[in-house]
Amino acid sequence: MTGILETRDLCHDFNGLKVLTHIQFSVQPGERHAIIGPNGAGKTTFFNLVTGVYTPASGRILFKDVDVTKAKPYRLTRMGLGRSFQITSIFQRQTPFQNIRLAILSKNRIRFNLFVRVDRMNAINEQTNEILQEIQLADEAHLPTSTLSYGKQRSLDLGMALATAPDLLLFDEPTAGMSRDESHSAVELIRKLTEGKTMVIVEHDMDVVFSLADRITVLHRGEILATGTPYEIQENDAVKKAYLGESEV
Amino acid sequence: MIARITPPAWTRWVLPGIAAAILLGYPLVFGTVYTNIFIHFAIFAVFAASLNMLVSYTGLLSFGHALFFGGGAYATALALENIPGMGLFPAIFTGGLAGAAFALIVSPLLNRVRDTAFALLTLALGQLAYMACIKLRDITHGEDGVGGFPIPDLSIPGVVSVSMVPAQNFYYLAIVILGICLLLMWFLTKTPFGSIMIGIRDNPQRVDFLGFNIPLTKCLIFTLSGFFAGIAGSVYALFNNLVTPDGVFHIMTSFTPIMMVYVGGIGTFAGPIAGSGLMTIIEEIATRYTTQLVLFNGILLVLVVMFFRTGFVGLYLLLKQKLFEKESSR
Amino acid sequence: MDPMTFICVTQFVHGLAYGLLLFLVAAGLSMIFGMMDILNLAHAYIFMLAAYLGYTMTGLLNFWAALLLAPIGVALLGMLIERFMLRKIHPLGHIPELVLTIGIGLILLEFVKWIWGTQSLMLQPPEILSGLLSIGVFRYPVYRVFIIGFSIAVMILMGLLFYKTRFGTIVRAATADAGMVGALGINVPLVYTLFFGFGTWLAGLAGVVVAPFLSVFPGLADQIGFDAFVVVVLGGLGSMSGAFIAAILIGLLNSFGIQFLPTLAPLLTFGLMAVVLSIKPTGLLGERQ
Repeated sequence: MTGILETRDLCHDFNGLKVLTHIQFSVQPGERHAIIGPNGAGKTTFFNLVTGVYTPASGRILFKDVDVTKAKPYRLTRMGLGRSFQITSIFQRQTPFQNIRLAILSKNRIRFNLFVRVDRMNAINEQTNEILQEIQLADEAHLPTSTLSYGKQRSLDLGMALATAPDLLLFDEPTAGMSRDESHSAVELIRKLTEGKTMVIVEHDMDVVFSLADRITVLHRGEILATGTPYEIQENDAVKKAYLGESEV
Repeated sequence: MIARITPPAWTRWVLPGIAAAILLGYPLVFGTVYTNIFIHFAIFAVFAASLNMLVSYTGLLSFGHALFFGGGAYATALALENIPGMGLFPAIFTGGLAGAAFALIVSPLLNRVRDTAFALLTLALGQLAYMACIKLRDITHGEDGVGGFPIPDLSIPGVVSVSMVPAQNFYYLAIVILGICLLLMWFLTKTPFGSIMIGIRDNPQRVDFLGFNIPLTKCLIFTLSGFFAGIAGSVYALFNNLVTPDGVFHIMTSFTPIMMVYVGGIGTFAGPIAGSGLMTIIEEIATRYTTQLVLFNGILLVLVVMFFRTGFVGLYLLLKQKLFEKESSR
Repeated sequence: MDPMTFICVTQFVHGLAYGLLLFLVAAGLSMIFGMMDILNLAHAYIFMLAAYLGYTMTGLLNFWAALLLAPIGVALLGMLIERFMLRKIHPLGHIPELVLTIGIGLILLEFVKWIWGTQSLMLQPPEILSGLLSIGVFRYPVYRVFIIGFSIAVMILMGLLFYKTRFGTIVRAATADAGMVGALGINVPLVYTLFFGFGTWLAGLAGVVVAPFLSVFPGLADQIGFDAFVVVVLGGLGSMSGAFIAAILIGLLNSFGIQFLPTLAPLLTFGLMAVVLSIKPTGLLGERQ
């Protein structure tokens, strides 16, 4: 059985420093998969390889059975991959409405339209408002984004990934830098938004991981240490050793 | 959405109507000298607005925009000189196409760099065009430039034929063409494509991840910007009936619209137009009192960058806000 | 000896002298970019101002006094520009900086034209450096040999400053990580100002030295300035060794180009710059864009 996302023997290094070695990773449709691991395990590098930011040193990446090893980010997005960013990546000088609308334009494959005023594209604006409702930013839709709270800006980041209607969502530490309360409501939001969707999430916070994921992959020093259900991972000796060994400090 | 009282439909035509009346009557009231000054203003308004597409809407500073302006000017001049019976509109369109073609040719190079390197690359390309124009004597007549080419009449066969040599006739042609260019550029900023441009300015990485092909998008932006700069250059060529390397390809030709964008107000559509107007007025007044116009302009530019970052348009909005606040506090 | 060899040797020495002078101008430009992330487009105009100051001071005092005072004068100007203008707008990003510095350059250019006029001003080298030097069958202007020696001496001085003094240590550390150096209690803004002054001082030296070599005229900034940009770009923005190699290369290219391809020479440098920027924006040895 092939997954929606597969990596085969994926390796990467930065100037000879090995970051990932022989990663065999697979996500099945409908799965909610978390990637965890200590700092420096290679999680973000893995994400950047899969989303086309870097080209891997060796190995292959398959998305929907298509080889996307060298595909650029915009190609992947068009194929149905959406990602959010660890460091919030939004358009600060625009309103949330304008932020989401750009994603909606992309979803509708409107890329070189020079002939219609975007304000008058009613279908686009309706879809934009729907997304804003979903991510609970309808009230702030027309305020400058830079004035929003950090938590709301994170929601907007998620919303933009979601608005392109991807078949696979990649979340890079969606609760990074959030307070306990913010983190809690962010998890609730993600749970609600990704209902029935395929998702890969990189996360530090174990509470978040265990409440969202139905499968977990543990990365350690650039290798996959274990893959399994949350219960299996909790019981895995190698994982315990990797985590406890480092948290003893 | 905020509900508001809609004024009667005819009121929205009042301001444009007055503006149109002023534009129509202008050459009759002010005479040839001021008509020519106005045409000069309009040419540079379009040129600066085409640069503004890059500076304010895509976040790229071009130090070589003269490449497209000069390309358009020379294309029109050479077409009129060498092709007998070249019509007026085809000649202008040739200028626009030349600007667009130049932009299209260099866009693969421009796509590879941004920020400081972009400014330097455009500077190098602009200088390259200037040098090439001087050196390719067989085509461009070197430093002498191309001049005295025939200016075609504006003619619709069998209906009407108007000479474009008198300043007042040319004025109407120029403001119509340049006005249409400004309208098109303004409209462009309101389209989905305009939103994507602004997205690239603010966060190219995210635009990429939203599924937009940035190199291709930028390529189209450069080409459009080159087209409008080419049209401005073309009208310049017709207006002066002379194009020289120093007149259209010189580094100062690239620099003038940058000044206009800044003095008028970066980040706004009206900025470069206001800038062109202001710089034209300043030139008219200052040359009566000093021979050091460029020095004066340089100081003005430095002051604007240092202290009035939003330029004239920003100042205007600030004043409007101040006045409005006073009224509401009464 | 056949004339071809003679021309080649003459052009080689001329190109070397020009290249080394270019390096002095480009070094300041490149090191300021490397450390402070500012591309000072006014740099070439400051260089030109120094040439004019050198001209006037040579008339009032003598060449050696001019060589001492004019660079200090423009260094002070550079420090004022950094302290009161660039520092204020640095947080706004690169575009306003580029526009501001080109504006300053424009002011300097017009100022120079206003004060000294637009004609070319000839400056004789001092007695001791005029005349011809005979090595075997070659006879060569002493002044060009002086330029080569002087530039090399300045380069050695720069090396000592960077690697043997406390200022140099701080500068190198601040280039790598300004925040860390600031945390160590060092006044980084002051270091920046001094450093900017040092960069413009180098341009000032080149300006005074160039006066008897190429004469003084308002096009000087454009001529040498553009070449200096090409050098900085080619060598990689911020890279000293890259700038050195590129400067010698451009110097020789210019010298031989004018001799053998007079129509194409001006195109060569810009063509090279465009090619390098579009193929490898980081230049020969540079790392960042």
